[in-house]
Amino acid sequence: MAKKPVILTQKGPVALIQLNQPERGNRVTLDMAWELRQICQRLNVEGKAQVVILTGAGESFCCGGEQLLDDGDSSSPPLDQRLESYRAASSIGGLKIASIAAINGNALDQGLELALACDLRIAAEGASLGFSNLSKGIIPWDGGTQRLPRTVGRSRALELFLTGRLVQAEEACRIGLVNKVVPLEELQDAAQEMAAAISSGAPIAVQYIKEAVHKGADMTLEQGLNLEADLSIILQSTNDRHEGVQAFLNKRKPKFSGE
Amino acid sequence: MPSFQTIDYSKARGVASICLNRPQVRNAYNTVMRDELFQVMEAVKEDSDVRAVVISGRGPDFCAGADLTEFGAAPSIVIAREARWERDLWSLFLNIGKPLVAAIHGNCIGSGLEMAMLCDLRIAAEDAIFAMPEAKLGLIPAAGGTQTLPRNVGLSRSLHLLLTCQAVDAEEALAQGLVTTVVPRNRLIEEANRLAQHLTTLDQRAVAALKEALRHGPDLPLDQALEMEARLVLKLVSGKGRDQTL
Repeated sequence: MAKKPVILTQKGPVALIQLNQPERGNRVTLDMAWELRQICQRLNVEGKAQVVILTGAGESFCCGGEQLLDDGDSSSPPLDQRLESYRAASSIGGLKIASIAAINGNALDQGLELALACDLRIAAEGASLGFSNLSKGIIPWDGGTQRLPRTVGRSRALELFLTGRLVQAEEACRIGLVNKVVPLEELQDAAQEMAAAISSGAPIAVQYIKEAVHKGADMTLEQGLNLEADLSIILQSTNDRHEGVQAFLNKRKPKFSGE
Repeated sequence: MPSFQTIDYSKARGVASICLNRPQVRNAYNTVMRDELFQVMEAVKEDSDVRAVVISGRGPDFCAGADLTEFGAAPSIVIAREARWERDLWSLFLNIGKPLVAAIHGNCIGSGLEMAMLCDLRIAAEDAIFAMPEAKLGLIPAAGGTQTLPRNVGLSRSLHLLLTCQAVDAEEALAQGLVTTVVPRNRLIEEANRLAQHLTTLDQRAVAALKEALRHGPDLPLDQALEMEARLVLKLVSGKGRDQTL
């Protein structure tokens, strides 16, 4: 039986998604993209996990994806359908729960697009991040042209796209592309620690914060403030809000039920 | 101006000073403070003597967040919604055409940090601590934090603050762009006043126009934002002498 292209392991509130084709730098294949879509859908529906960590097996995080070519073969599916089936970042971006990319090695092209679709990023020292698509006559096609400028600003995004320059983990941290840099051997612990910090929050509150931040980014400030107000008021009907406040006032640890 | 229970208000040389004054509870924000701030901010907005505003905190902290003994009790969501909009203090902050300076020391947590993010400039003392602990309390920010933080420090850093609830110190806050300056604790108010004093020397209509351009521009497509900028400039210049140079 062929090796699974993606491995999902769930431990309590933390789901670990590992890209598992280290011999090819975890480049995204059709199988891998399909598997990622299934996993993300399942995580959204099941509602057991509260945080996802995305990482790569072996030396690389993910060195890119397939080359999109119009092979002129009329028997293969139309190009737009093939593009859709190669894309995977929107599956990660569509997660209702928080997501962390644990960037264990190079994150290039589609690999960086996957990382950008996560809410938070930790990189191992020595990891390189960047886009080289343009030198191959193509543009980033899994959300990169939109998510990179929204993360590091337009000027830096254009520089990285146009020059194809790779940034090292430390610089990535300075420009806000990753949140934290740690030695490789500490990466998984650092990601678990970050996941634990997030999962000690109330599950619905964490999801609502994520929703308010991401949806609000596409709205005017007024609209965003209205969304935040509505979500915070809906939250008042939850047991966890009551529990969180009571625990704080009584100086004890809250026990959230996700309700 | 009447005297207040939860804040101090004074005015000198064009600078309005608002000092959060519930040091026994780390200047926790409650409904009385909301109403008093609302009253003061409305007055500041209209008062032509006021050309800059400094907001600071009495005691060891700037503001440690909302007073949960009060906001903790959840009324029906219908009542909560009414209460949220009856005095929209946060929109009032955004709609004051005068420069607002937050002078931050000690704890600047939850609504305290959100209040600071609704100001234009933030100076922190070296002892300042910043955090957004709402998720750990089963809450989400409700004073605009999910919107103002990303617009000031970017998505990635905001999500880190909001999702992990981990605190950052003044040095880190400066590196992330949460604050514009860090000064020693004993010089905080002096530096904030010095900055505010400088702001009073600027053309007030120009300051208001700049604030408007930056407040609405990022929400618009670039061509519309440029038109708005042009409108603001023309309005500004047409009210001045003929020899005004652009």
